[in-house]
Amino acid sequence: MSRVLVAMSGGVDSSVAAAILVEAGHDVIGVTMKTFCYSDTPSHGKTCCGLDGITDAKRVAGALGIPHYVFDVEEDFTRDVVDDFVHEYAQGRTPNPCVRCNGNTKFRDLMRRGRALGCDRIASGHYVRAAHDETGTSLLRGRDHAKDQAYFLWGLPRELLPRLAFPVGELTKDEVRARARSLELVTADKPESQEICFVPTGDYRDLLRKRLGTHPALEAGSIVTSSGDVVGEHAGYAGFTVGQRKGLGGGSPEPLFVLEIRAESREVVVGTHDELFRDEVQVGEVNWLTDQPPVGAAVRVQLRSRAPAVTATVEAAGDELTVSLWDPQAAVTPGQSAVFFDGDRLLGGGRIIAARITAAGGSGTAS
Amino acid sequence: MDPTYLDYAATTPVREEVLAAMAPYLSGIFGNPSSVHAWGRQAENALELARAELAESLGAAPSEVTFVRGGTESDNLALFGWCGAQRARGEVPTIAISAVEHHAVLEATEHVEHQGLAKSMRIGVTADGRVAVDDIRRALAAGPTLVSVMWVNNESGMVLPIGEIADIVSDAGGTLHSDVAQAVGKVLVDVREVPADLLSGTGHKIYAPKGTGFLFVRDGTPLAPQLHGGGQERGLRPGTQDVAGAVGLATAVRLAVAEREAEGTRLTALRDRLESDLLGALDCIRVNAGEALRAPHILSLGVAGIEDGSALIMALDLEGVAVSGGSACTSGSAEASHVMGALYGEDDPFATVRFSLGKDTTAEHLQRAVEATVTVVGRMRAA
Repeated sequence: MSRVLVAMSGGVDSSVAAAILVEAGHDVIGVTMKTFCYSDTPSHGKTCCGLDGITDAKRVAGALGIPHYVFDVEEDFTRDVVDDFVHEYAQGRTPNPCVRCNGNTKFRDLMRRGRALGCDRIASGHYVRAAHDETGTSLLRGRDHAKDQAYFLWGLPRELLPRLAFPVGELTKDEVRARARSLELVTADKPESQEICFVPTGDYRDLLRKRLGTHPALEAGSIVTSSGDVVGEHAGYAGFTVGQRKGLGGGSPEPLFVLEIRAESREVVVGTHDELFRDEVQVGEVNWLTDQPPVGAAVRVQLRSRAPAVTATVEAAGDELTVSLWDPQAAVTPGQSAVFFDGDRLLGGGRIIAARITAAGGSGTAS
Repeated sequence: MDPTYLDYAATTPVREEVLAAMAPYLSGIFGNPSSVHAWGRQAENALELARAELAESLGAAPSEVTFVRGGTESDNLALFGWCGAQRARGEVPTIAISAVEHHAVLEATEHVEHQGLAKSMRIGVTADGRVAVDDIRRALAAGPTLVSVMWVNNESGMVLPIGEIADIVSDAGGTLHSDVAQAVGKVLVDVREVPADLLSGTGHKIYAPKGTGFLFVRDGTPLAPQLHGGGQERGLRPGTQDVAGAVGLATAVRLAVAEREAEGTRLTALRDRLESDLLGALDCIRVNAGEALRAPHILSLGVAGIEDGSALIMALDLEGVAVSGGSACTSGSAEASHVMGALYGEDDPFATVRFSLGKDTTAEHLQRAVEATVTVVGRMRAA
């Protein structure tokens, strides 16, 4: 028996993913993961994965005639995603919780619990494609490149790939919405969720204050230039991210950007846009979904969720690796992901630990 | 595959006799029982007949029965109403509840305490059905005290020694509240036998509609209303009464009480068979509260070697067998049951599955439940 577990957030993409699987004749079970307790935050009624998401997912599952269950993963999610998020900001880095959730929590939990329900496959509404051939399964960018979500999936355990299905990966967002409308799914015109699901207020600093209490990351510190001049004060380095444009008042001659966050001295380093560029990136917690590219290989690397991939050479490989960017890139941000591709094929990725400039007279490192 | 419903402790269908009794009051005899005219009098007559019928089933006087909108409301009215009456006397009283109470009592007590209306205490309960009477005596010694101990525990089926507790409370001049949602029709609930002061009951566990319930208030027990309005139910529960619901509830209680012994014998035999079949087919399982006196309709099983009890319930659902984890109240919550925590400790490694039987349960249903449970537990342990 082929029974498929489909992760339904209550959004339109996973609703249509479930509908496609049902139409294809699969034995489909819908689940929504309850990731975070909203009871002490005001409800805005918009976010996916929240209790409204659960209600919408249940309505869609009911309309499709499939069972639906709620998996309470709050404990795992809090430990693996929320605590990590807070820890990363406390260290002066800029975390990517969706990457963390997909890699460490969501699909692992779905697979483990799915087995108990007799499911041998897991599906989601991500805009990626699973390609199966004699060498195994690999993930490709979604057909709709504007909606592609491969960037968020580099952390998946490789052994899960043969068991994954992404039914909307072949569709565009418009096609997905049209499909949902023709099926009269309640989620057809639901807006995209933008904010982080566990930060429904939209201001992650509220969460940091709540979970960190008093912490150096939330205390005042100096804003300095790369040459060490103090040019201002900030209210806590956790409020900054590398590449962020920083208005300093006082009419500095050109706009300044955050170059680096120095947690140990609570300094936020700023400089001109030219100073933002880096061409060597150190990557940790590396995970490969294909065989690892050899040292010296050229790969494409995507350094931001909405940035195009750029070409780089693998310099040193292992659990940590270093890549040299052929062209220096602005705002390579520690804590964010470096995701490797070969064309549309997702090779793997890791967390950016540090970046520096080796060519053309740049300054310093962002660590 | 025939669906197999074994979750009667969560809720029951409305039985035909109840539906038939209610039908005239849904459209034909529709008057407001507070109205002066003939329509109103007809409705009021039906309401008061229902009250008398329900009272008689419990050994109470009609004036001691208040119709409310379900078990949770009844529990809340008992606790808040009693605290309100104490407050009017300038007292900060004590509420002592057993460690295995329903959330309606547990959360209401926490809220009462949070509001500063009362202090609260917990009364220990052991897996073999003993209640820490020293805890009760200690609470009673502290001043005005409401003791709340459910008659039958909803998660384990354990019957608590209400008679013994009632005597202790009564001797010390305290007030005893008991949630009888799982007890009516399952064990003898008669207020002439047991000097309880407040009883909270619900209709939907005994084949009456959801949203029907009652609060028994022994004459002379002070209680302050928690809603304010038109003075219905002697001012204790204002709001136009649900006449059809009251008639349905009274009918359901009468039938449950009348059928208690025969149905209890039948369900006990079925339950014991289910229990021995499961114990024979699976190792590393435990009958929760197995050493205690238990109501006939509940079998609560502890299953070892399973990481996640909620997945077991879902997997059984996919096999067409409807059961619960401990209670049916929370939406997919993996929060550990406070009841099993109280009986077996917080780190108890057993996942809970509750089978609860009812009037349409047959030996064939139970056979299917055993087969499905063996299949699913085997698969989960292998995973």
